[in-house]
Amino acid sequence: MAAVFLTPLLFVAYTSVIGDQGFSLAYYAEVATHPLYRRVIENSLEISVTATVCTLLVAYPIAYHLSRRTARQRALLAILVLLPFWTSILVKSFAFTVLLGRAGIVNKLLGAIGLAPLPLLFNRTGVMIGLTHYLVPFMVFAILPSLLSQPPELRRAAELMGAGSMRIFCAITLPLSLPGVMAGLLLCFILSLGTFVTPALLGGRTDLMIANLIDFNIHETLDWNLGAALAIVLAVITAICALVLGRVRGGNLFGEG
Amino acid sequence: MEERRHRTLPSFLASAFAWLAYVFLILPSLVVVPMSFGDKDEFIFPPHTLSLYLYKRYFLESTWMQVTLQSLVLGICTTAAALVLGVGAAYGLERYSFPGKRAVALFLLSPIFVPAIVIALGLYLYLGRFHLTGTLPGLILSHTIITMPFVIISVSAGLRHVDRNLETAAMVMGAGRFLILRKVTLPLLRPALVAGGLFAFLISFDEVVIAYFISNVSTQTLPVKMYSSIHWEISPVLAAVSTLMTVLSLAVCLVVVFLQRNERT
Repeated sequence: MAAVFLTPLLFVAYTSVIGDQGFSLAYYAEVATHPLYRRVIENSLEISVTATVCTLLVAYPIAYHLSRRTARQRALLAILVLLPFWTSILVKSFAFTVLLGRAGIVNKLLGAIGLAPLPLLFNRTGVMIGLTHYLVPFMVFAILPSLLSQPPELRRAAELMGAGSMRIFCAITLPLSLPGVMAGLLLCFILSLGTFVTPALLGGRTDLMIANLIDFNIHETLDWNLGAALAIVLAVITAICALVLGRVRGGNLFGEG
Repeated sequence: MEERRHRTLPSFLASAFAWLAYVFLILPSLVVVPMSFGDKDEFIFPPHTLSLYLYKRYFLESTWMQVTLQSLVLGICTTAAALVLGVGAAYGLERYSFPGKRAVALFLLSPIFVPAIVIALGLYLYLGRFHLTGTLPGLILSHTIITMPFVIISVSAGLRHVDRNLETAAMVMGAGRFLILRKVTLPLLRPALVAGGLFAFLISFDEVVIAYFISNVSTQTLPVKMYSSIHWEISPVLAAVSTLMTVLSLAVCLVVVFLQRNERT
């Protein structure tokens, strides 16, 4: 394991500092100052934050809904979440090109009710929709345990004391589920930051993310050192988030498993 | 009654949101199925006439079959390797205590947290030294690294459920460590092994980023072929491939749900 996993990572680190003239940090300097690299890193952070927030907005109602069902109903409804989770990202990307394209299903429906077609594919919107779809199951499974662990008596008590359902949600359910929400946010942020397929297939040609730029450096411009430096930057950001995630989960890094 | 209505409006809205979200999640899977029964080389939704034309193309075109076979072989080899190594690692972590155990556990699971592109680049540079890029062993090695953590998680959880007294009893009766593992522990672990093995297979079968870096034309896998097909030409055959893969995913997730239910009872 050490030989086959750690060594490759060390190779990346090595490649990122050793160039033609021996050791130098010039590649990191270039990553930090070159306008293209700066823009891509900013892009990636921006896309990841937005996608993570969108994911929360979609996933919380699902987790809430699941937590209020009986165990039997929950097992059945969970399939609706598990199926996209286990569906290949390529199948989903293909489906979205069919759904969102200029002559796609969504735009045809819009046309049928007399609206102009929207540019939904090969731009930021496409990446956002694809990423959110990819992340929702992770978020649901992060939030669900913290909703299920709340004793139902707590809500009953508040209800008996005359609290409305909105009040109960805002004062009890939501605050108690925040640890799960935090874990989900961090997890989704990590996952979206390193994403490669979605921006490559659903995004615009100029709206790159870090992973696509690494690929571009390795396969197109053959600038391995720069690609490696970028990879290290990505890995460090991810590692920091993962450590924070470990803290949020109270040291139990591996969830309920 | 008054109070009841007061309570149902927000909860009705919550349900409505949830169902909208379910539809969003499931929609892409539903769209590809009717598409796959179209009868021409173009995208029309819903298709005018139903036919198996696209499936015929998928099964008869040698390139699609070749990459599917490649992915199957890769998936099976990866699953076998990840199970052998993962069971060993999980057993060691659950049954023995040694200094630095937490660090070892963290290290063994760390491929989950490292972005695939970083692992892909590392393996690309590393395997290149041994001329293993573009070969099946190189791909198996790469996929074993990324699937092993999932086997470890699944088997560790399973081991925690196995009654240790059964192992102790076998030991008291004079069974050796290996015999206990083979006759007592592994049979009890079967649900966890099946789940872990399925995860490993599906992850390997679906994996695109690392395979994209490591494979070449002769070792191309199904996801890599799909990736370039979506990227460059969007062939309608993709609808048939996608439907078949969705069926595979559905089967796996039903098996997992079924296993979990059995475990609880």
